[in-house]
Amino acid sequence: MTTENKEKYNFKPILGLAIVSLLICGLFFPLIVTGIAQVFFPYQANGEIVQFNGKPIGSNLIAQTFTMPIFFHPRNDSASGVDPDITLQDAYSQIPAISNATGIPVDSLTSIVNQNQEGTWWIFGSPYVNVLKINIGLIKQYSTVYSEFSIS
Amino acid sequence: MIDAIQAFAVIFILGVTIFVARLLAPYITRVYSRVPSRLDKLLNPVEKFIYKICGIDPNHSMGWKQYFLAGLLLNVAQMVIAFLILVFQGKLPLNPMGFPGLNWDLALNTVISFATNTNLQHYNGEATLSILSQMTAIQFLQWTSAATGICMGIAFVRGFIVDSKNMGNFHVDFVRTITRILLPLCLIASLVFVVMGVPQTLSASTTLTTLQGTTQTILTGPVASLDSIMQLGTNGGGFYGANAAYPFMNPSPYSNIFMISLMLLLPTALIFVFGELLGKKREARPLLWGAYIIFGIALALAFIPNIPLVAQGIETRFGGFMSNFYTVTTTAATTGSVNTALSAMHPLTITSGFLGMFIQSIPGGKGIGLMYMVMYIIITVFIVGLMSGRTPEYLGIKITGRDVKLVMVAFLIHPIIILIPTIIAYASGAAAAIGVGGTSVGYTQILYEFTTSAANNGSDFLGASGNTPFFNIATAIVMFIGRYASIAILLALAGSMIGRKSGGTTGLKTESPVFTIVLVASIIILVVLAFFPFLALGPISSFFRGLMNGF
Repeated sequence: MTTENKEKYNFKPILGLAIVSLLICGLFFPLIVTGIAQVFFPYQANGEIVQFNGKPIGSNLIAQTFTMPIFFHPRNDSASGVDPDITLQDAYSQIPAISNATGIPVDSLTSIVNQNQEGTWWIFGSPYVNVLKINIGLIKQYSTVYSEFSIS
Repeated sequence: MIDAIQAFAVIFILGVTIFVARLLAPYITRVYSRVPSRLDKLLNPVEKFIYKICGIDPNHSMGWKQYFLAGLLLNVAQMVIAFLILVFQGKLPLNPMGFPGLNWDLALNTVISFATNTNLQHYNGEATLSILSQMTAIQFLQWTSAATGICMGIAFVRGFIVDSKNMGNFHVDFVRTITRILLPLCLIASLVFVVMGVPQTLSASTTLTTLQGTTQTILTGPVASLDSIMQLGTNGGGFYGANAAYPFMNPSPYSNIFMISLMLLLPTALIFVFGELLGKKREARPLLWGAYIIFGIALALAFIPNIPLVAQGIETRFGGFMSNFYTVTTTAATTGSVNTALSAMHPLTITSGFLGMFIQSIPGGKGIGLMYMVMYIIITVFIVGLMSGRTPEYLGIKITGRDVKLVMVAFLIHPIIILIPTIIAYASGAAAAIGVGGTSVGYTQILYEFTTSAANNGSDFLGASGNTPFFNIATAIVMFIGRYASIAILLALAGSMIGRKSGGTTGLKTESPVFTIVLVASIIILVVLAFFPFLALGPISSFFRGLMNGF
């Protein structure tokens, strides 16, 4: 069926193939995926932007600055620099300070931490808490304590 | 140390990956044997159209020189296109952040890095590249280098098939790799990543006001389409400088496991394809077990120290254990993506990483890892032949002195292109110029830089601090030689196998477990002999220093 061609290498297809591969791999594919993602999964495809009181206030996946003593604080080191999560132990260790600042009982804060833990499925992963999610949880549950945030 | 549940988790993840790879192998084999398939109705017209406009004759067959040259020239043409896009990105569309074009040396380093499947990055993508560059320079080359690597591996195997007369047609293999293997796999993987939380948008940023009233810019882009090919193609280059540590690239412990599995999938599947194309499925055994036994040893080494739950440089959602698992896997498959700061890793984990990059076939990059493993098998067959006084034979082919010479050249290129530039980096003051000293820690960083370049791996300590003319040009040269010289030599070896099959079966039984053990031993001995002095000055010295100071 096929015969080995002993002639010199045919250079003609190189340029065409380079351009065709550019169009398929560099444009067609990322644009198709963008289209599907934007139609079917717009929340994830746009960066899991959290809406609060009708305004975008951050992304679930990117840490934001929390310095006030009434909030849980993210880590200030990590490989990416924007680690949105803290370990359970870290969250527990912050409870007394938050309790002091807000008057919310330690037991209630502990149960909020426990309710917010994620990241374990079957045998995989160790539990952690997303800082933005738990702080929004606090604002929603204790609207009087966090009145300056819940009224827009 | 790890506990029993963690050990089970590792075995489970690897087991599922090998199983899926096994299921995928017959399909991949049919793609390259051009066996009719159900996808023909959809894809035949597309492929015929591509052949027509490019002037490709699908029935033309190539010898090893033509096949190699076709791949090299196509890659160079693709590098030129990507280089122009990077240098002129300031004047091109889809640049919402208004980034200027790259300097020529950084652009050169970047296109060679991505075209050679290395993905060493001397820049932070989110602060340097336009959306257009991310798609048409970075992701474009990630696809084409993956496809080229697979094709070279397949051509190499064809040389060993009993009645083969040529290496196939590179152009046809390249097109079919994209249309029939990478497109469907990457589409599925990209969408899984999106569901897991990876962005996929043409918008580069969203600026918003946080709860405490500060302004925050969320950096997005077409990330999911990169995630899939960076792992499936064992590329490793990230959308963001922090690579797979950045939450938008790797949002959860599950996406992390998915990534580990994806980077091993094609290199492992190609091991089975080797057996299927040869028509001797059992011959895949020493490749598979050889690769995974040494990979297991590398993992065990990384798991010896106490692994912290979370520490500085380790992302909370992965934890220390999964970060270590990821770091060893990414070097074993020469992917080079990272989900931690490498400087946070224990010296033993770094030593494991070096091991993966020195060997390059546990299981190594897709296509290339397979070629290297067959190279080690030929060395082993030769050594055993010497010891038993028999003519060495592999797959019924007599191994001649010329074969062994080619194999030794392919093996020795690697230490040469690592050690010489490492010495030059220190002697010329280039290392000191970027603040890397002559301590064991500093030396480890420079040695790693050239090892990762030579092995076409891509993870590194230097990152954007390596963006100096010396490191850009030196690593570009090392990446280029590390990729194309090795492929050329190993293809020459495979090409010389055509037409000299004895068909005799008196040789060594290479599919036996005993041979696998000998293979593993000889790989370890070879690598230790060639590389131990390098390691002793770097991570091993750091390890003992740490031991004395009580880690």
